[in-house]
Amino acid sequence: METNLIVEGFKFMGLGMGTVFIFLVIMIASMNAMSYIVHKFFPEPQASATPSAPAQQDNKKVVAAITAAIKHHRG
Amino acid sequence: MKNIVLKFLALMMLFAFTNASANGHAATTEAQTTHKEETYKTKSFSEMISGFVASTGIVALINPGEELDSKGQPMSTFHKGAGRVIMILVTFFLFWLAIAKGFEPLLLLPIAFGGLLANIPVAGIAGEHGFLGVIYSMGLSNEMFPIIIFMGVGAMTDFGPLLSNPKTALLGGAAQFGIFGTLVGAVALSQAGFVDFTLQQASAISIIGGADGPTSIFIATKLAPELLGAIAVASYSYMAMVPIIQPPIMKALTTDAERKIKMTTLRHVSRLEKLVFPVMVLTLAILVLPESTPLIGAFMFGNFLKESGVVERLNDTLQNALINITTIFLGLGVGSKLAADQFLVPDTMFIMVLGIIAFSVGTASGVLMAKVMNLFPGHKINPLIGSAGVSAVPMAARVSNKVGMEYDRTNMLLMHAMGPNVAGVIGSAVAAGVLISLFQ
Repeated sequence: METNLIVEGFKFMGLGMGTVFIFLVIMIASMNAMSYIVHKFFPEPQASATPSAPAQQDNKKVVAAITAAIKHHRG
Repeated sequence: MKNIVLKFLALMMLFAFTNASANGHAATTEAQTTHKEETYKTKSFSEMISGFVASTGIVALINPGEELDSKGQPMSTFHKGAGRVIMILVTFFLFWLAIAKGFEPLLLLPIAFGGLLANIPVAGIAGEHGFLGVIYSMGLSNEMFPIIIFMGVGAMTDFGPLLSNPKTALLGGAAQFGIFGTLVGAVALSQAGFVDFTLQQASAISIIGGADGPTSIFIATKLAPELLGAIAVASYSYMAMVPIIQPPIMKALTTDAERKIKMTTLRHVSRLEKLVFPVMVLTLAILVLPESTPLIGAFMFGNFLKESGVVERLNDTLQNALINITTIFLGLGVGSKLAADQFLVPDTMFIMVLGIIAFSVGTASGVLMAKVMNLFPGHKINPLIGSAGVSAVPMAARVSNKVGMEYDRTNMLLMHAMGPNVAGVIGSAVAAGVLISLFQ
């Protein structure tokens, strides 16, 4: 049985490159979709904002305490 | 009553005894005769010396006895004598490449030493019962070691750069053209009558263009185990030579202005994205090409463990201990295929030549793909990162960065090149899956 190997080779190439590209294109599309969904519904908590907020509150508490103490002292 | 039972038992025992002794007697006489043959005969001292000399390696190399090769056919005199000497010298050359030139020493040294051991006459270390042969059948002939290596590589891979610029994955796809271009080349060579490669062998050779050691070994053991040694050596030595092979091709195909293109900074990728990505790609592989899931599954398993962030111990083992142990065994097992009767054949030369063609074509098509993508609107891509689409993580990405820096000191391409680089790993795993599925 004589088969033309070169033709076979080109068939392999077409199928192979086609599959690789289709796979990657689907992968890119799903990556974009996934990033969109993640950013929209599960945004990362802002790392810098979280520690500063309690600190400010603490400051306020301290200020309140000091003011109260001063008032008490004067009164 | 009791008496009768006792008598009966005694009778039975007598029978049993006579029977056994008869058998035993026959056995002992047989043993005696064989024993007689094996008894140590006194030899004169000169006879002992000549007998010992006849068993030395020198005699075995100069005047070899009858030996069978891996296919059970008698080996040619060349492969038993001079061929082994040549192969031992070849392994010395590989030592030099690994130690003095720093060519992938982690794998090249175990491979070369395995090759040295495999070419020792008489001892038969690479034979079925030699320890290299045992290593080979333990983890290579069943494709176990490449898969474990893939897990480790997955645990070392960061998909962040790819996730922040997904379209660069196409570059990793284009570079797989090296695989299929070479496949056509290999079958054309055998059609022209230079060599006699079957389609399976041609496919196994062309996967060298994927520039991915474990994938090459995986495919070679599946499709053409007889070519494993040459394919693995070609694959790893060309991967080590990426900094020599790629830059001339990259420079030839790009203009000065293209090489200076600055790419926009990569956006931050959230932890959840990185965690979802491995599962997502594996799901796609399951749906599109289940044949590729052994490789992609192992790869994504390693990556998932890393990104989960809760199994630091397992991640650490995958990245270090496990991959190191497996590398030692993989190297030695591949080295066992450097035995003269399997390596010193004309096919090896063609594999080496086809391998470097595969590498170059892959590099070129990655660069060209980047240029094609620049024709479309959107952020411009520096074509130099296209060459990183051949896997060879992270060497190819470093080369892109280095060549880019040659033309503009401030142009940092490394992270941009990591995107196509890891996409290349996925791309070659998919290509491997296609090739396997075609031969089912």
